[in-house]
Amino acid sequence: MTTTHPLELLAPLSGVLLALDQVPDPVFSSRLIGDGLCIDPTSQVLCAPLGGVISNIQDSGHAVSVTDDNGVQVLMHIGLDTVNLAGKGFTRLVKEGQRVEAGQPLIEFDADYVALNARSLLTLMLVVSGEPFKLLTPEQGGVEVGQPLLRVTPQAGAGEDEQEQGDALFSKPLILPNANGLHARPAAVFAQAAKGFKASIYLHKQTQSANAKSLVAIMALQTVQGDTLQVSAAGDDADAAITALVALLADGCGETVAVQVESIEPVAPVSSASLLRGVCASPGSAFGQVVQVAEPDLNISEAGAGEAIERAALERGLLEATDALQALQAKAAGSAQAEIFRAHQELLEDPTLLEQAHELLAQGKSAAFAWNSATVATATLFQGLGNALLAERAADLADVGQRVLKLILGIKDSAWELPEQSILIAEQLTPSQTASLDTRKVLGFVTVGGGATSHVAILARALGLPAICGVPVQVLALANGKQVLLDADKGELHLDPDLAEIEQLQATRQQQVLRRKREVAQASLPAITRDGHHIEVTANVASLQEVEQALSLGGEGVGLLRSEFLYLDRNRAPSPEEQAGTYSAIARALGPQRNLVVRTLDVGGDKPLAYVPMDSETNPFLGLRGIRLCLERPELLREQFRAILASAGFAKLHIMLPMVSLLSELRLARQILQEEALALGLTELPKLGIMIEVPSAALMADLFAPEVDFFSIGTNDLTQYTLAMDRDHPRLASQADSFHPAVLRLIATTVKAAHAHGKWVGVCGALASEALAVPVLIGLGVDELSVSVPLIPTIKATVRELDLADCQQIARQVLGLEEAAQVREALRLYHVANVETSLVVEN
Amino acid sequence: MFEKLQRAFWKALTPDLVLETPQAVAVPEGETPLAPGVLSALGGADNLKSQQRVALTRVRVQLQDAGKLDAVALKAAGVPGVMVLAGGVVHLITGLNTAL
Repeated sequence: MTTTHPLELLAPLSGVLLALDQVPDPVFSSRLIGDGLCIDPTSQVLCAPLGGVISNIQDSGHAVSVTDDNGVQVLMHIGLDTVNLAGKGFTRLVKEGQRVEAGQPLIEFDADYVALNARSLLTLMLVVSGEPFKLLTPEQGGVEVGQPLLRVTPQAGAGEDEQEQGDALFSKPLILPNANGLHARPAAVFAQAAKGFKASIYLHKQTQSANAKSLVAIMALQTVQGDTLQVSAAGDDADAAITALVALLADGCGETVAVQVESIEPVAPVSSASLLRGVCASPGSAFGQVVQVAEPDLNISEAGAGEAIERAALERGLLEATDALQALQAKAAGSAQAEIFRAHQELLEDPTLLEQAHELLAQGKSAAFAWNSATVATATLFQGLGNALLAERAADLADVGQRVLKLILGIKDSAWELPEQSILIAEQLTPSQTASLDTRKVLGFVTVGGGATSHVAILARALGLPAICGVPVQVLALANGKQVLLDADKGELHLDPDLAEIEQLQATRQQQVLRRKREVAQASLPAITRDGHHIEVTANVASLQEVEQALSLGGEGVGLLRSEFLYLDRNRAPSPEEQAGTYSAIARALGPQRNLVVRTLDVGGDKPLAYVPMDSETNPFLGLRGIRLCLERPELLREQFRAILASAGFAKLHIMLPMVSLLSELRLARQILQEEALALGLTELPKLGIMIEVPSAALMADLFAPEVDFFSIGTNDLTQYTLAMDRDHPRLASQADSFHPAVLRLIATTVKAAHAHGKWVGVCGALASEALAVPVLIGLGVDELSVSVPLIPTIKATVRELDLADCQQIARQVLGLEEAAQVREALRLYHVANVETSLVVEN
Repeated sequence: MFEKLQRAFWKALTPDLVLETPQAVAVPEGETPLAPGVLSALGGADNLKSQQRVALTRVRVQLQDAGKLDAVALKAAGVPGVMVLAGGVVHLITGLNTAL
């Protein structure tokens, strides 16, 4: 209670001032820690704003506080989220307890390193002891280090230490879950909560203790993850204080900490009276009204009115249909949809189809009857081929058949009069139906048939609308106009949604949009977990254009170049020079610092390539596919190796063999590669790896590992081969889920074997592109995630929210679960906990 | 016919490729070009080796020759703060409000 001289605080740095309200971190902008100001620094040495004693300097060097003799305490925090840098980029120039002069250098930092590796350089100077102050400069603009900045009026009695009185109650010891200990942010949350109680409260770490109401005292404890802490309190509300504060500590004081996933109640994927379940075909959610879509039955008379007339009628119908399809292509919602209509148009010119129709015309049948019979017969043929993809194409044939039929019969498609906010429900929606939709009025799709590759799925994804497929048939009995809630993310249609559900879903949607924005803005930041573990996030690409796009979205390389796509539209193989040119252009775009993983031609009976003709197989998925086909036609492989090798040196070149199931395949391919490299005079072989997509390769990974440079796990095929379920099968698609513990165990086996031999493991299948799967993949030890280009920012942002230790824990847990649905639920709970806490912190 | 059709659909239906025109394309927020005044204060486009938004409030540029930087002109061009670092690296402090 000495005389209260006004105290001038000097600018600790040169830079540009920013109002505290604008700091994009609520812990600071809300003044939870204290009032003060923010400087965006242009100098790299933080100096003392006042003379006093260093009351705390964090081991990580990003925060320091100085207390003067009158108890005025000023905290300086360099950058946002810089605690994650764990000291890198910061050099402490003073020690705790040391007396410093105003203006004395305290911390030196590497501004470029921090800018590139942390969220921001925005530096806070806060008067944490709570005295009022006045700004001595304009609120905006530049300041120079050492310039007087604030005038603080010390208050008598402020910041007086409380003494513990009477008998203190002690909590049970608890383990600190926060990855970086109680640094500024969680410490502030804790101190703030403690201030809410009258009792005097102390936080104990072994023999040290700190006043729980003092942020700086808590920070001075220098707690780290795993420390055993106790809370003690004395006073009227001591009991309540201990209960509340212990719960707060266990929850991480506003930070994400390992979630206890102890009791996972399996969610049975059953439909109830108020809920129908299907498979997510396009993510999102919507609240709207039911609109049932049904096709009218057409009246077709068999007998014709003379061959010439009927022939002309068919010609006219086909011509009009061609025109209509052409128009549809022009205004299609995306190139995928345009592609479908182009294929429909080709169907109209198909000689076999026309031949069949003409034969029937010659027998005196009507144009409508002839055309209908021909298309139905061919569609049946498609369905009988035992190929799910072609079976789904039968729907296309039926669609294009219907289009021509209506034109022949002179039935005009009345433009659909859709009510606002429609959720369309159908057995199956055809491309023609969806193309004539007023999509502004459609909020979502629900179909009984179809899978992730159906038209509805493609269209919905192109339009960004939610859709679910494989819903029970009773959905077709819902009354038009009924209000329903479609939650495609969970594959659910709620028939009696309540207001709370709807509002929650809309809020979630809003958050997702914001999140996406933020993710894209931060795409260039590396994918480093909170505890400093780097995950390489690369792209799955099929063209040079996608490579460029991937780089602009923060891709760190190419983890899968699908070489079979480079020349998909060709009827003959591209020349060796052209191939070499393509690979080199892609490698150049990446540059010598980035990985380029080229997968050799991955074709087979299920993925035909025009210039690689092959006999049809009864079971193409178990036939000559991937490396098997290439070894069967070694000239093809040799030529591709030569072309790929031409790009050696432009990027970190990796060659990857698909569908490897036997060691002999790897050895044979390596030998061919060595021969080609030798012939080209290359002294250094590119890295050679294999895809793990056949269970035999995963199970034998310990024998493969010494002979490869890396593994990349193709989860799509690995899943269908492990579970013996076709992922395009309309009825099995929902169960052919890569989250199945069997698949995850194979991934675990693979990683273990690879790491035992010092080799890295990537995941390039669809699982890597699912944010939900990221924690478990990281936890299993996967080193690289190669993801679909648009999802790079999302996956990187997801990684940055995680802790390796948490991930390892959740990975161990899910490996012991029974089925994919349980794994998804466990990860969803984990994700919700993670995202919600990080939103609290970042919004 | 099957072959052609299969090929077309296979291309259309490979889920990773379906999203070939994601919203993100419209927002390759990567880098907005620098204003002409800023660019000339940095010594012109030829002097610019790289450009990257970092740390929420900064544009990090690498210059061929940091000597060509004109701090006064930068300020006049509306850049409130400039930080010249080693190796031709310069941080332009553009603030939070600059469109990302």
